[in-house]
Amino acid sequence: MNLEGTLLFEQPFARVPYENYRKVFRATQRALEKELGAVQSAAAELARRPQAAQSEALAAVDGMILRVEGLKRKLADLHESAGKPTLAVLRARLEHLEHLPALSSSSNNPASSVVFEHWADTRLDRWLVDYALRTGKPRTAASLAADRHIEHLVDIELFTDVRRIEQALARGSCTEALAWCAENKSALRKIKSTLEFSLRLQEYIELARARRTTAAIAYSRKHLVPWQDTHLAEIRTASALLAFKEGTKCGPYRRLYDPARWPALVASFRRAAYSLNALPSEPLLHLALYAGLASLRLPACRAPGSSPDPVVSVPDVDTQRTGSPTPSSGSSNTQDHSHEDAMDDTEPQEPREELRSNPDCPTCDPSLSILAKEVPFSHHVNSTIVCALSGAIMDADNGPLCFPVGGAVYCREALEEMAIQNGGIVTDPRNGESCAFGELRRVFIS
Amino acid sequence: MDGPLKELVKLEKLTDNGSGKGKSASIGTSLDSLLQSLRDVKDRLEAGTETGDTFSQLSKTVETRKKEVDERQKEIYNSLSRFGKALDKTFTSSLPSYSPLFTSESSKTELERAVAIHLLRSGQFDTTNTFLEESELEISQDLKSCFIDMHRILTALRGYDMIPALEWVMRNRPFLKSRSSPLEFYLHRSRYIRMLLSSTPANQVSVISYANAMLRPFHNEQPVEFRRLMACIAYLPEAKLRTSPYADLTSPALHEDLEPLFVKEYCASLGMSRQDPLRVVGDIGGGGALARIEKGRKVMRERKSEWSQTDELPIEIPLPPENRYHSIFACPVSKEQSTERNPPMMMPCGHVLNKDSLHKLSKPPGVGRVKCPYCPAESSLSSALRVYF
Repeated sequence: MNLEGTLLFEQPFARVPYENYRKVFRATQRALEKELGAVQSAAAELARRPQAAQSEALAAVDGMILRVEGLKRKLADLHESAGKPTLAVLRARLEHLEHLPALSSSSNNPASSVVFEHWADTRLDRWLVDYALRTGKPRTAASLAADRHIEHLVDIELFTDVRRIEQALARGSCTEALAWCAENKSALRKIKSTLEFSLRLQEYIELARARRTTAAIAYSRKHLVPWQDTHLAEIRTASALLAFKEGTKCGPYRRLYDPARWPALVASFRRAAYSLNALPSEPLLHLALYAGLASLRLPACRAPGSSPDPVVSVPDVDTQRTGSPTPSSGSSNTQDHSHEDAMDDTEPQEPREELRSNPDCPTCDPSLSILAKEVPFSHHVNSTIVCALSGAIMDADNGPLCFPVGGAVYCREALEEMAIQNGGIVTDPRNGESCAFGELRRVFIS
Repeated sequence: MDGPLKELVKLEKLTDNGSGKGKSASIGTSLDSLLQSLRDVKDRLEAGTETGDTFSQLSKTVETRKKEVDERQKEIYNSLSRFGKALDKTFTSSLPSYSPLFTSESSKTELERAVAIHLLRSGQFDTTNTFLEESELEISQDLKSCFIDMHRILTALRGYDMIPALEWVMRNRPFLKSRSSPLEFYLHRSRYIRMLLSSTPANQVSVISYANAMLRPFHNEQPVEFRRLMACIAYLPEAKLRTSPYADLTSPALHEDLEPLFVKEYCASLGMSRQDPLRVVGDIGGGGALARIEKGRKVMRERKSEWSQTDELPIEIPLPPENRYHSIFACPVSKEQSTERNPPMMMPCGHVLNKDSLHKLSKPPGVGRVKCPYCPAESSLSSALRVYF
């Protein structure tokens, strides 16, 4: 396991609750400023007028007491309902990652591999929750999180919130998204997001669409003009929009009235919401699968029973699954691969894929093989010869041996085993070629 | 993770109203003393004992308390940003943004199917049903029942009830035999050891007859293990066995390892891979492959060269041996992977090159003789044999 590569996936895992806690802090700060500011000015007011009537002063002091008590309650609420739980989530997540460095350095220790297996199970569960939430399967996400007791480790609330706002946008309502922008104002400013302007512009367009000209002008003054430093051209175009009705053929205005602006808003809201939390645009599961499939994918990978090339005969899945060496029915007999033929420069011979599709290979999985088509092939500079009989990787101790006529290569151990059981005779399960063990030729892979 | 955790502890202490940690007073304390001062003023007002500077005193107190609160908030703010910095230090790179992946209808459906099978395989049947509903996906009832059955057997196995597993083994004996699977022997072995450990000298005879009935048939396949199982009786009871050369037979792993073995055989009988494919691919992708691919991409960008998305990765991702599923032959001369059009050819000396390389090395090219680049042997081009890995 590679620690850096593993942690790459975990940045949002820690970021999301951290950003949540910053929000709690800001809410606390706002409450403090508001209430204490009011108390401060009330006290200053009293100090300025020491001659005020006693009843008036009493009322003022009572007011201050109420404010401070209210503030205390509010802060306690905020801490209990948001602050503490968020810190607990942060703690749970950091503790979940705590043992990774130790695991990565002692990957050969069986005890740590059990711990890692368990950790990786949980990671896949987390990815699946993330995937379910992003692809509109909230009930799956909830069920999985509850079943596996990983509620602290997944961001159901965040995604539910994002989804609620997206759905509102899809309905043609910007209110929810604008409220969200207000909540995250400073963070949005930091990433130079123009989401709020786009939302405001859309509300304005809707007023223009409804021909509520006066309201539109007022709206523009209040909500668009403050953006003139950065969006002057757009504001100008928007102003002229009032002269055009929906259905206009005039390019820039037709584009403003285009209903396709709504899905674009949904997308740009989603982008902003994800990037505030360091969440990637793609589900984590997609990213992991992309990289994993690309690392594994080979030209030889395909689902059992499927063939990329119509010329290839459908392999006999049963034979290779059970691994029982039954000779195939002479479709590719030894004559096909005689020396002259092998050097023939005409069409390549029918590839013998029967033993190539490996049921244990995840890229040959019937479902994942479809996804694998979207990723690049893996790159290899060195040869790795995997024995089609035993699955062992051949090396100097268990070297490759080759049938003298058909050229099929298997590892020494598997062939020795076969020879012991068959009185010194070995048979190629792919094409039925038989010979004495001693006739096999040694192959050198450099 | 130490850095962020340390900062988190500080933050927890600072924001916990009950504790007095931190340089400044906690906000709760400040507010309480502010309330106290306000109530004092109120009492004095009610008693009519306020003096001329009561209010200016109060105003000053309010200022002081506000300053205390501000200081505390500042301390929390600083702690929070230190925590943020510690996170940045631990999580140094952010995930790449890719254009949407697996968007085609077939990919979407197949990913859903893979997820559904993963959920079934890991025994999450309620979640599977919810998932299937939400994805509007169908999975054959047969497949579902297969996995439900597998988990029924596994649950029993976990509780040391080996009967369901043995029943399954009986039904699939020819299949297991064709794979030379030790599953049946290991199931009986675990059962035998459990009987042995709980036996008394009086009923040991029945345990031995169990061994004779169930284990002896495996004598040919597992001669050494069979002899050990019979011989370990001499070291009973358990306490003595634990310090004997047969101590490994008392290890709980003897039983626990049955579970993955059973899953492997059961899935193989369904034509499925021995490991959960989603887990394997995810672990490789999430265990460094993505980071490496990104690094490769960055290097390519810096060199201002492009690599085509669908072609081949620009770098090699190292894989552990258990994740090598197919043979790869990379020609030692041209470094190219063999293909059907450019297959691996073995010269009479046993060295293997790709066909194209062989042709290039031959003199005259394409027809004559080849001098092996790895040994002194020379041979005719036509004597090379196409090999199949």
